[in-house]
Amino acid sequence: MELGPQLRAAPAAYSWGVSIAPVEQEVTESSGDLAPDVPWITLVWNDPVNLMSYVTYVFQSYFGYSREKAEKLMMDVHTKGRAVVSTGPREKMEIDTEALQGFGLWATFQKDH
Amino acid sequence: MARGFRRRGKGADLRYAAKLDEVERGVVIGLMEQVIELLDAPAAPTEAADPFDQIVAGMGGLGIGVSVLPEDQQGWPSAGPVPEDARSFGERDPALQRLLPAGNRSDEQVSAEFRRLTEDGLKQRKAAALRRSIAALSGDSGSVEVDAATAPLLLAALTDVRLVLGERLELRDDTDVERLEVIVDTLAPDDPLVYAMVVYDFLTWLQETLAGELLRSLDSGGQG
Repeated sequence: MELGPQLRAAPAAYSWGVSIAPVEQEVTESSGDLAPDVPWITLVWNDPVNLMSYVTYVFQSYFGYSREKAEKLMMDVHTKGRAVVSTGPREKMEIDTEALQGFGLWATFQKDH
Repeated sequence: MARGFRRRGKGADLRYAAKLDEVERGVVIGLMEQVIELLDAPAAPTEAADPFDQIVAGMGGLGIGVSVLPEDQQGWPSAGPVPEDARSFGERDPALQRLLPAGNRSDEQVSAEFRRLTEDGLKQRKAAALRRSIAALSGDSGSVEVDAATAPLLLAALTDVRLVLGERLELRDDTDVERLEVIVDTLAPDDPLVYAMVVYDFLTWLQETLAGELLRSLDSGGQG
């Protein structure tokens, strides 16, 4: 039984391997943020450079979203200026933000107000 | 005449092939090398001769010397509203800032912590994808072929090149693109800005063909 690799597994398309260990150290003073009922969100902001097809590809390949969901989020970014692309604990949102910035998308994370 | 990316083969043999001539590949490689330099040396933008100028200088009738350095952009179209977030780290090159934006728009402390934890890794991965793309573009033949593992890296590398060139062209919201196209139509064909837009449009087209094919691969892979 090898639990290690499973525990460390990243989303399928995200093979860059992020260590999140230091994050836990950093947020101890605000640990309330990590409570499940206070979710954080990852946002993607519109920019004039990123292609609609590419943004759809990133949402589909990184998150594993369906084409329909990926295209809807892409259109929200394009027409509304931004879209919430994932929701969850702060650590996960930081991982998503880092991954999306790696793809060149304008991603940020914040507490869901 | 360039031909965009198309899928070849299936399964483990799946790859993406395009036809780019030597000049076209040279332009893309030169820009990718510049983005690596930007990632490697964030603190002080280099004052050395711009590799993009050298690339352009070797392009025969098109050798008109485009610089993408910000100090050479005076007199270019004024910027639209600049997202405040893009400037929140002061002295950084705005193009580097676009590659590595602040992680949080409302809390500078959270942003700084995120940057401290992620920036080095992001820079390394972006540079690695750019280097792998340069290697793929550096062959002798007129065709460029990448395997299924390399294609997403090339796609991301093309994105980073377009982000930097787009920032130099001051494309910061959707209306900037239209505005710039109108301006370019009024300029002489040998104006450096016209050439920069030609390069930007070429990269956009090339990336679009690769993104389209990768989307098709996702569909045929049954994902989602």
